[in-house]
Amino acid sequence: MKYILLMSGTKAGVDGYHKWSQKDVEAHMTVLRSISQELSKSGEFVATQGLADPNEAKCVRGEKSGVPVTDGIFPESKEFLLGYWIVDVASPDRAYAIASRISAAPGPGGVPTNMPIEVRGFAEHRQSER
Amino acid sequence: MKYMLMMNTMRAGAGVPDWSQRDLQAHVAFMMRLNKELHESGELASAEGLSFPDQAKLVRAGSDGLPVTDGVFPESKEFLAGFWIIDVDAPERAYAIAGRISAAPGPGGAPLNMPIEVRPVMSAPPREML
Repeated sequence: MKYILLMSGTKAGVDGYHKWSQKDVEAHMTVLRSISQELSKSGEFVATQGLADPNEAKCVRGEKSGVPVTDGIFPESKEFLLGYWIVDVASPDRAYAIASRISAAPGPGGVPTNMPIEVRGFAEHRQSER
Repeated sequence: MKYMLMMNTMRAGAGVPDWSQRDLQAHVAFMMRLNKELHESGELASAEGLSFPDQAKLVRAGSDGLPVTDGVFPESKEFLAGFWIIDVDAPERAYAIAGRISAAPGPGGAPLNMPIEVRPVMSAPPREML
């Protein structure tokens, strides 16, 4: 069964991240890379992506004319998506365990960030329709 | 260049839409047609619908490294209902596709005009993260 693990953050969190030391950033990325490698080996890895800075986000809404309207301003929201992992696992518990490892990736000074990771199943009925 | 198009739904409309069978079928047919078209143009990288938020979990590693799962979805105004990853030549093309998704038909065939968030995907981690 497929799950998406969503890593969201706040503007304050992203601003803080940009102030991490090079060493802390490297340690963090090393752990995330090793998790992805492990998932590839176990056959559970489907995809992972990091999203670009929220300053580059646009909001589009179709008008009656069908012409898209773009907002240069990011809509007011407490949190936004930073990146995600899609995994194909045998049980929900396995998805939670992987999310926990991502959550425990090291932050400044090697202390786990313990970021909340949202775990969402895929809508299987919609998958089977495609 | 890759973009992620995110369809967020208000929490109030979290369950199966209270639409007629005919309206639901028209909506799904629209989405399937769009996905087929994007697949044929070579622009569709992936598209997934997520299951309803009552099945979502929030995982945060505790200080002991063990996963902590919350049965209750955190208070949030909006949640991700589904997404598309597209690979297009220009941002304007991404906005145009988002505009079409936004205009998918709702009850009575009227366009929903849902806001679609358009975010560039990082092709590689920024240099400072490696």
